[in-house]
Amino acid sequence: MKFGVFYEISVPRPWGPETEHDVYHNCLEQVRLADELGFDQVWAVEHHFLEEYSHSSAPELFLTACAMQTKNIRVGHGIVVCVPEFNHPVRVAERAAVLDILSHGRLEMGTGRSATWTELGGFGANPDETKQTWDEFVRVLPKMWTQERFGYEGRSFSMPTRAILPKPYQKPHPPMWVAVTSPGTEIDAAERGLGALGLQFAGFAAQEQKVKDYRQRIQSCDPVGEFVNEQVATVNFLYCHEDKKTGIERGQGMTGAFNYLAAQLLPVREVHPSRSYPSLGLLPQVRSAVASPGGDDGAPEGLCIGDPDRIIEQIKQWESAGVDRINFLLNAMERIPQEQVLESLRLFAREVMPKFAEKTPVAVSGD
Amino acid sequence: MVFSGTLDIARHLDLASSMPSLKTEALEIPNVEMVAAFFEIDDGDMEGLLPPALHPTIPPTVQFFGMKVTEGPLGAFSFAQVRVGCRAGVRPRGYTTLCFCDSAEASTALSERWGFPVQPGEVIVQRNYDRVQLVAEADGRRVLSVELMDPLPINGGDVQYTASVNLAKASHDGDEKPWLVQVDPDYAVRRADRARPTLHLFDAEAWAAEGVIPVYPITGSYTVSDMTLPALRYLMDPAKNAFAGTVSL
Repeated sequence: MKFGVFYEISVPRPWGPETEHDVYHNCLEQVRLADELGFDQVWAVEHHFLEEYSHSSAPELFLTACAMQTKNIRVGHGIVVCVPEFNHPVRVAERAAVLDILSHGRLEMGTGRSATWTELGGFGANPDETKQTWDEFVRVLPKMWTQERFGYEGRSFSMPTRAILPKPYQKPHPPMWVAVTSPGTEIDAAERGLGALGLQFAGFAAQEQKVKDYRQRIQSCDPVGEFVNEQVATVNFLYCHEDKKTGIERGQGMTGAFNYLAAQLLPVREVHPSRSYPSLGLLPQVRSAVASPGGDDGAPEGLCIGDPDRIIEQIKQWESAGVDRINFLLNAMERIPQEQVLESLRLFAREVMPKFAEKTPVAVSGD
Repeated sequence: MVFSGTLDIARHLDLASSMPSLKTEALEIPNVEMVAAFFEIDDGDMEGLLPPALHPTIPPTVQFFGMKVTEGPLGAFSFAQVRVGCRAGVRPRGYTTLCFCDSAEASTALSERWGFPVQPGEVIVQRNYDRVQLVAEADGRRVLSVELMDPLPINGGDVQYTASVNLAKASHDGDEKPWLVQVDPDYAVRRADRARPTLHLFDAEAWAAEGVIPVYPITGSYTVSDMTLPALRYLMDPAKNAFAGTVSL
């Protein structure tokens, strides 16, 4: 089991001149500490227009800063929205390659397609097309990275032959992932040989079956890249405190804030009936996770909040469900003061991480 | 600091229905033709369009619904409804500003049993080969005209309607006052089309929706379904956040 940190970069109102600056620099301080403590990855999402919920619209810049300030932690660029109205695929390939070079080959490349009308409508993108454009992007990106020159005639874009530069530092290219929220996307990931970057927060039984399906299908995959990235990651919340009750209370303050912010968003499914969006996306999953019946301690199943013993117990269950990595959200709306976030990270590293010291190496690159 | 509604419900009380009882039995209506058209609206006063129990989505939306019923326990009727898209806590909902209906029998049932604020009016739901029309008239004056052009068939399972929240006067546990009544019908959709909507006319004042200014079309749909109007399950105190003010019936 490996552990990472995961950033939406949630910025609470009221927005003063320093608010976004302070939140960004709090995140960077957390990443520096996570690197020192042995966390394996830092992920940053790409979102647009999502007031308070996520101000992470240029994650490649944030991740470059992370890479410059750390030594070992891998930088997860994800998910990058693979919709041409958001990002031209050439620009995605170029930015990723630069980030990989500047980080000395620490890039993990996450792909996805957005699930909100708030974002897709804002860019004038057609929600019916996003599955196809995502598929097209993940097939061309490895070619852009590995071929000396690349030309293409496709559905969402075409281009004459050009040298797409620079090339990534990792050879043949960085590991590729896809965000899994809609039912069946884990199979899409497996069929293409991509890592499954799960965005579920809880519910062991449902996840266990998804992981089984993924592992089975990937055995006969036709990889879009030069190698298969068989890994399953999930996202969770982390608040670790010596006192279980305090840990749960503060953790639930964070999850509740996150849940309420997510509820403001307008999922595609709610306003645009489409086969392309069979679920509401992140929102109902967050809601059900945070609102799911808790154990005797009142904390929902699967959430990594509480004292070290409770968190160890939750992670063991994720491990037995077949998950390779957990990436943690550390805060929402700055609900938890920065010093407490840092202390939670330190306690987790001291008391929890050693229990999951690597038994079987997890592949992190294509070599 | 998530947005909360700031609407003074006194603005809507005159038009709110009075419900003699909250013990409503479910009612199935077959072969309902339904038009829905969603638009983004100007965000200048998005909190002011909703009572404090609710909060707006980002972006805020207005939702136009039309229904044509040709058979069933309430007889034939046509019905139109305007809602402001919203959240009750974390749940997706639509706050009804006003409805028009061309049948006294249906109006009484929808008003007294499910709390819809209904006024008499003429409603046209018309599906042609190349378009679907929703038109509403009140006092001989057109107050809504929206069209879905070139509708394309989609899977009925892809259509999802969120629950309505209706301001109504009712008594619960001896507490007689205005409540927000949640109505979440079930739809067994047999046919569905989708198209981009075009708004020709919307008289916001006539719909008690002053401040609702549609600015950008999202999507429209047309369905044929068997609809079940449900037994009521939840009420909300309009003045309290839905987390604190929701009552289970």
